[in-house]
Amino acid sequence: MGSILDILSNIFLMIGIFFVFLGMLGLLRLPDIFNRLHATTKIGTIGAFGVMIAIVLKVGFTPMGIKAITVGLFLLLTAPVAAHMIARAAHRHGVGLCKESIIDEYGKTYK
Amino acid sequence: MNSLLLNISLVFMVLSLIPCLYRIIKGPTIPDRVVAIDAMTTVIIVMLGVYSLLQNSVFFMDVALVLAIISFVGTVTISKYLDEGAVF
Repeated sequence: MGSILDILSNIFLMIGIFFVFLGMLGLLRLPDIFNRLHATTKIGTIGAFGVMIAIVLKVGFTPMGIKAITVGLFLLLTAPVAAHMIARAAHRHGVGLCKESIIDEYGKTYK
Repeated sequence: MNSLLLNISLVFMVLSLIPCLYRIIKGPTIPDRVVAIDAMTTVIIVMLGVYSLLQNSVFFMDVALVLAIISFVGTVTISKYLDEGAVF
């Protein structure tokens, strides 16, 4: 019950939940779409992968553990790609930056 | 003890869905809504993983994998449509 794998699993679960909560706070509070995207990509990488690592550490290499590590690796591969594509589409679609931003290098090279 | 921690994490994730709904309803532009939908799908995937561990059932993990694939394809499709005006 109180073995070291359970303690490690609880620590990874808490890290994942903390990053999910932090990403949601960023989605609610930040002023710009690119800042919000910067916050919410952490949910897909650290949050989901941390929770899946916690599940694997708790159940071992049973079918549930194998499927959990599959879901975690898939999210770790595809979440940055999706975030990059939506940021590029937003910048080309004409969504402006917030007022406090000071440089826009992609806009200068694109136009 | 473990069940208590999993239940508390489920409550936190359900509370984390509220900013997504706010951003989907009120978001100023279309990419804001797409980002919020993507983040909400990821939170639902994490919630399905924790619920699968809580129920000792494998089938919720299959649902999480299918939901991850559908979310990725949907986000890429909408961003290509916003970028070029056509999907293919």
